[in-house]
Amino acid sequence: MTTTLGWLAAAGLLAGLVMGFAVAPREATQGNVQRIMYLHVPSVWVAYVAFAVVFAASIVYLARRSAAADRVAHASAELGVLFTGLTIATGSIWGKPTWGTWWTWDARLTSVAILFVMYVGYLLLRGTLDEPERAARAAAVLGIVAALNIPLVHFSVYWWRTLHQPPSLMKPGGSSMPRAIVAALLVNFAAFSLLYLYFLARRVRVLRLEAEAAA
Amino acid sequence: MPDNWGFVLAAYVLAAAVLLAYWRRLVRKERPLATHRPPPASRSSME
Repeated sequence: MTTTLGWLAAAGLLAGLVMGFAVAPREATQGNVQRIMYLHVPSVWVAYVAFAVVFAASIVYLARRSAAADRVAHASAELGVLFTGLTIATGSIWGKPTWGTWWTWDARLTSVAILFVMYVGYLLLRGTLDEPERAARAAAVLGIVAALNIPLVHFSVYWWRTLHQPPSLMKPGGSSMPRAIVAALLVNFAAFSLLYLYFLARRVRVLRLEAEAAA
Repeated sequence: MPDNWGFVLAAYVLAAAVLLAYWRRLVRKERPLATHRPPPASRSSME
């Protein structure tokens, strides 16, 4: 099952590259640098999903003390940090030629940076506490509190005046982008989602094997 | 607006390197754990 997911993710990423570079047209205003969006937007989507999974699994852990839920939360937090890091890095690389700066402290970028630091803190907290049950309990509380930042990140572009533009795809009234660009984005969304599921399955397995070895 | 292909290449190479490095890390962590895992039969006899 995991191997199949891996191959599906690889095929999806390849299809995403073809869609992003061969099918989607050159964007009229930004030029070809807009093609970075086929990495940046799916990355932040996966980061949101990963942190939502941490939130849900943390609630399940606190309610049932399920070790499996704790492993899912741990693995998903790690992936959320990975994809948030990719979001920040690719956004910064896109920002330099488009905005003229690598970074600016506007509401969207700052709230994403806070989100990133909170989940790095989550992983550090897990690594600092020796007793597994105590670490899982503390991490679950932090996993729930940190997820409250996700709506703040998403709606920051509406609530404050920001350099970062509002969503182009998921906005009220539908997208006004050309179909080929929307299709390229959707294929990359699917590919990144599959990659997340594949990484999650493997990371959870590693955590389970580590727990069995330590027992 | 200029195309800035260098920035596009940098973003894709960085993403590929990070994702590949994470995948390799998972494989390296899993391999020794999976090979040293006791077989199910011996585990049940231990219980």
